[in-house]
Amino acid sequence: MPTPALLLLIATLLPLASFTILLFIGKRMGTPLAGVLATLAIGGSFVCSMIALMVWLNPSGQYFDPSRQTMIEWGANKNPINLPYQWVPIGPGIQQDHPNFMDVGIYVDSLTIVMFSMITLVATLVHIFSIGYMREDPRFPRFFTYLGLFCFSMLGLVIGGTLLQLFIFWELVGLCSYLLIGFWYEKKSASNAAIKAFITNRVGDFGFLIGFGILFYHLGNVTLPKMWMLLGDAGFGHDITLASGVIFPAGLLTVMGVGLFFGAVGKSAQFPLHVWLPDAMEGPTPVSALIHAATMVAAGVYLVGRIFPILTPGAKLFVAITGVTTLTMAALIALAQTDIKKVLAYSTLSQLGYMILAMGLGSWIGGLFHLITHAFFKALLFLGSGSVIHAAHHEQELPQYGGLIRKIPVTGITFGVAVLAIAGFSIAGWGFSGFYSKDMILAHAGAFGYLAESSGKSSAYWLFFYLPTIIAYVTAFYMTRCWMLTFAGKPRNQHLYDHAREAPIMWAPLVALAVLSVIGGKYLGVSELLQSGIRESTQYCRAVVPKFDGFGTAWPAEATTTTEGAEPTAAASSDIMEKGHELMHHCVGWAWLVGIGLGVIIYWNGYSIAGPLTKFPPVNYVRIWLYRRMYFDELYFSVFVAIVMALSWLSATFDKYIIDGIVNGVGGLVKRTAFLAGWNDRYVVDGAVNGVATLSQELGAAVRAPQTGRIRMYVTVLMVAIGLGLAGAIIVTLSR
Amino acid sequence: MEIGLTHFLILAAFLFVCGIASIMLKRNAIGILMGVELILNAANVNLVAFNRFSYGTINGQPVLAGQVFAIFVIVLAAAEAAVALAIFLNFYNNFATIDVERAQNLKG
Repeated sequence: MPTPALLLLIATLLPLASFTILLFIGKRMGTPLAGVLATLAIGGSFVCSMIALMVWLNPSGQYFDPSRQTMIEWGANKNPINLPYQWVPIGPGIQQDHPNFMDVGIYVDSLTIVMFSMITLVATLVHIFSIGYMREDPRFPRFFTYLGLFCFSMLGLVIGGTLLQLFIFWELVGLCSYLLIGFWYEKKSASNAAIKAFITNRVGDFGFLIGFGILFYHLGNVTLPKMWMLLGDAGFGHDITLASGVIFPAGLLTVMGVGLFFGAVGKSAQFPLHVWLPDAMEGPTPVSALIHAATMVAAGVYLVGRIFPILTPGAKLFVAITGVTTLTMAALIALAQTDIKKVLAYSTLSQLGYMILAMGLGSWIGGLFHLITHAFFKALLFLGSGSVIHAAHHEQELPQYGGLIRKIPVTGITFGVAVLAIAGFSIAGWGFSGFYSKDMILAHAGAFGYLAESSGKSSAYWLFFYLPTIIAYVTAFYMTRCWMLTFAGKPRNQHLYDHAREAPIMWAPLVALAVLSVIGGKYLGVSELLQSGIRESTQYCRAVVPKFDGFGTAWPAEATTTTEGAEPTAAASSDIMEKGHELMHHCVGWAWLVGIGLGVIIYWNGYSIAGPLTKFPPVNYVRIWLYRRMYFDELYFSVFVAIVMALSWLSATFDKYIIDGIVNGVGGLVKRTAFLAGWNDRYVVDGAVNGVATLSQELGAAVRAPQTGRIRMYVTVLMVAIGLGLAGAIIVTLSR
Repeated sequence: MEIGLTHFLILAAFLFVCGIASIMLKRNAIGILMGVELILNAANVNLVAFNRFSYGTINGQPVLAGQVFAIFVIVLAAAEAAVALAIFLNFYNNFATIDVERAQNLKG
């Protein structure tokens, strides 16, 4: 096995080892040893990922590709590592790498490496933070047990080479999410939130299964590159004729794409399945940072990245609409939330919407780039909020905070850095990480608008550019509001303020993440690596399908021919990109300054301006509407939950009167039959048996009488009998 | 008067009746055993007498089947006496008597 694949496999298995050990002897290891072990394991994974990254960037090897039966070179800008292994025999498959077998595999390209580096890095920092944050919790070892399982599942999801494998680990991360949201299950709200998250995800996974079923029916469980090669033309929106002669209709392809995307809708909490994520904040804050901000919720974006080449224009439009709806709605709701973690949760939703939108518009790099930078600054925001909550003795309401910068300066400054990063802070073309990734997405959205215009599409397509642009201002504003209400102004709860205190072990992760949030955009080479990822995958697929351009199909312009041999790009031609970038620059160049400035002005002294402002009729209705999260929970409750309740009532009634009636009727019948049988038993069967017994007894008594046991009497009787017999014989003889 | 078969048979019948009487009338186990011996010997007398008076010789050789039979019966009687005496000893151990009237444990 080539070195990077082996290293990443070790990195995947290390958390599993930690999970297994902690599962059995975690309790005996106790606080903080269990946490240290888990941290060492994930730290080991991080080291492995880093070495793999180094090796990947300086490739020096070949491997035997089993699906192509040749040696090929792996490495950045060369080829991905694609190793399918046969697993379950399932009878004749259609386009399998191993005929008749269900495959599992390892697939490593630059995206895998980037994801591994990000996940292990954030996970390590969150582990370190958790040792401090969870110190007083009685179930400390169990927390790290779950974290180990989660890290294993998440890394397994990223390294998996087939969609089936992706789905298995997909469900595993869902399980870990459920376990960790409900970690404090004594709290009714926490256990309810866990159930809500699990069930909402099931809805999305159902879509995933439908999509996967359609794919499996036509192709079998193929490896990712094989899937891209076979369905790489999906981007053109016409039917695809498979090698077996089967026609894969375009409509079905769209249904498949939307189905698979529905898995991402559930996991990445997109509209309309977004309701679970804000409730998931009931879990411990490090969990929110790791699972519900940086990694698991981003898995949906990763999935869309993996199925990107097989999405039809229709499916992509669906993806984009979902993304733009989510990002707009979530950012507006975030404006009115008062719980610090809820603000961050809606901010996460909004940013995930940006990523999904980028995917839908065809900006593969933009979406995944934003995934990485967002992971850094959102993990930082959540860990910062954890530090605040820890300092404030588990008070999470913004109205109770204020002025905390003087008490917890490290948290305040790092939190501020993250706010700048998410707002897209930039000066003269240089900015924090969020600037670069959002820049890419919005520039692509601009280019997308021009393309749609030039290909005669409706002007509604411009919404894909203008809504995210407006929300970029809103993002800067609500994040500033959150920071100002927490750290600036006068303390609104003097008691809480007096007792606030930082824990030193939590500093290190905060500072590390703050540094990453600053440099993550430009200096870590993430976007270059992602670009190389596209190049690798395309190159690999073109060796078999020369015209493959799955990552670069420029929709919405109805492309009918591919540009064979051209450098693969995730975007349209460069002049349109340039135009889009320029438009974006005009529209959002200073969005961060406007948003932050407004936030600072309105919230410079707590609620003194915003409070009265939101008291008057039109504003306060909107505020309440947003505060109640646009009544989505109530809507879902009154529609879905009420339907389920009504159905349950109906089934309960059916159960009570019809099923119970039948059961009771049968019971009564049995009772009567049993009575008859009992009578029969008592008088007929027992009578016969007792009769036989009595008869034997009487007979025995009669026969017993002569058995006196006196030997002399026996002899006497014997002799008398012989004498009589003899006499008889003599008489008979003589009388003859 | 020559002594013939009838005399032996009468003697044997007498012995047999003595034995039977002894069994029927004695309560003492030893007495019963003695009665049994008398009966066996009555049979012996019959066997020997029948052999003497019925077969005589075959090809000049005397036939001794009855005598041999009688000897077997004597051996059998000895063995039977040994077994019976052992039973009586056990009987005595358990009941401190050899009165057969007391041996009624198997009475139904």
